[in-house]
Amino acid sequence: MALPSFLSKELIKLEYSNPEIPEGINTSKEHPLKEFLLLVAGVLSSIAILILLLVLLSDFIVGYIPFSWEKKLSAPFTSTEKSIKHTDNTTLINNYLQKMAARITVAQNLPEDMTIKIHYLDRPSVNAFATLGGNVFFFRGLLEKLPNENALAMVMAHEIAHIKFRHPIQSLGRGVLAGLALSIVSSSAGDAIMENFISEAGILTILKFNRDMERDSDKAALGSLVSIYGHIKGADDLFLVLQQENKNSEPYEFFSTHPLTENRISNIRNQSRQSAASETTSITPLPNDFKRWLQSEKSEPDSGSDETDPAEINI
Amino acid sequence: MMITNIEIVPGKQITKHLGLVQGSSVRAKHVGRDIMASLKNIFGGELKGYTELLQESREEAVSRMVSQAEAIGANAVLNVRFSTSSIAAGAAELFAYGTAVVLD
Amino acid sequence: MYLELIIFLTLLAFGYGFGRYAEKKHYRSIIAREKELNNIPAIATKHAPVSGQQHDSNLVMGSVVISIDYFKRFAASLRTLIGGRVTSYETLLDRARREAILRMKEDALSQGGDIIFNIKFETSSIFKGKKNTVGSVEVLAYGTALILKQGAH
Repeated sequence: MALPSFLSKELIKLEYSNPEIPEGINTSKEHPLKEFLLLVAGVLSSIAILILLLVLLSDFIVGYIPFSWEKKLSAPFTSTEKSIKHTDNTTLINNYLQKMAARITVAQNLPEDMTIKIHYLDRPSVNAFATLGGNVFFFRGLLEKLPNENALAMVMAHEIAHIKFRHPIQSLGRGVLAGLALSIVSSSAGDAIMENFISEAGILTILKFNRDMERDSDKAALGSLVSIYGHIKGADDLFLVLQQENKNSEPYEFFSTHPLTENRISNIRNQSRQSAASETTSITPLPNDFKRWLQSEKSEPDSGSDETDPAEINI
Repeated sequence: MMITNIEIVPGKQITKHLGLVQGSSVRAKHVGRDIMASLKNIFGGELKGYTELLQESREEAVSRMVSQAEAIGANAVLNVRFSTSSIAAGAAELFAYGTAVVLD
Repeated sequence: MYLELIIFLTLLAFGYGFGRYAEKKHYRSIIAREKELNNIPAIATKHAPVSGQQHDSNLVMGSVVISIDYFKRFAASLRTLIGGRVTSYETLLDRARREAILRMKEDALSQGGDIIFNIKFETSSIFKGKKNTVGSVEVLAYGTALILKQGAH
């Protein structure tokens, strides 16, 4: 029996064809680089805005935390009394530093309850930092390098200004809030590269606020130098010391917690040129025995770690 | 354009089969929705954001399939199937495909 | 910090360059082979309007796994933050699907098939590594090929 004709191969071919489908229906035509740039710009600006809002929120909340709480909270962590051998020399240094702090406290008009406690640490790092509860730490390494009293006053005034502006607790609050938000956002991004990208972008935004803090403190510190010594000569010596210390290792300002040391120096020099200070103003030397007080303490090997937490704000 | 998932349309004759047409769409919701969804995962319930997302994607996939069918001169797509797959975290692909035909 | 940034940018540039090159090359090959295999119709309807006497039927399939490049993956994860159409994956899936169909047709051709019915697709994403750092999609296309019996002509 003959098969019906519609089953023949030719007819199948006729009824079933495979026309060419034009390209580009299932894909978007936009250039990938253009889209990419828009996406990067969009994501970076939304992270920056998010961080900005959180910083404002955190500063607002921190404004309601009285300084006395901060002091109570930080007391157990900042007590160095036990760990330090009380030799005559440490007492002398402490007394000298505390006296200096008292002068700066007056110069900066600190509120009544805001008391400053200076701690001297026998360690070689060239650093000083302010932390919660009005505690300021000085390392032996820095004190050894400072050439005169004005430079020392500059460091101390800078740290005390941080405390006056309540930077340590602000910085802690920002760190907690922004860190929390960034980790929530980045964890729901679900991609290792993205997680890094988000947290780096967030951190770089926070750094901008850190640099602003440093600038504010520098400004206030220079103000108090003027009211103590009548001029700001010698203040730049501090930054020359820091520059010497961080030679070649300073990152671009954009990646740094602090403004470039170079810029801080030129800032001071500009200001000193503008002020009417004459050539006759002299720099106050450190006490004669200052170097000797530090020298004799060098027994202890360095055991400090370089880890910093957000509430510790160094120079 | 007729879109169905049956093989034979009652009362109509298929005069020409034009092969496979397909449409796909990959979409994602912004991260805020993702965070809300992960919170919702604690309590359960409908994830409105994602329902919406998949709905939008499905519509787009179908419309892309239809434009393929139109481009090759079909007037119906028969035996349409959908498939959903999660391509990356937070992004889902909706895929629709069927046979483009000319109906009498 | 700088090192990481440089590595990241280099990977992005490499991903973009090589990914785009590979994609263009793949599309060229897909379009050429689609023209070649155009004589084998592939349709999604279930019933073949032919009796089983003249034809054998056999399952044919084609599958492919294609990976996304660094640049596109980064762009896609940026997109999942903002929301919207993830264009990075569109071309990837389009390529994978058309490649799978082509392989299925090649399979049918090697068995002497004339036409493929009842095509179905399976798509799965294969993510491996720490936090899904390796991203790729697999597409499987399968259907039934009608093969003219020998001597039936």
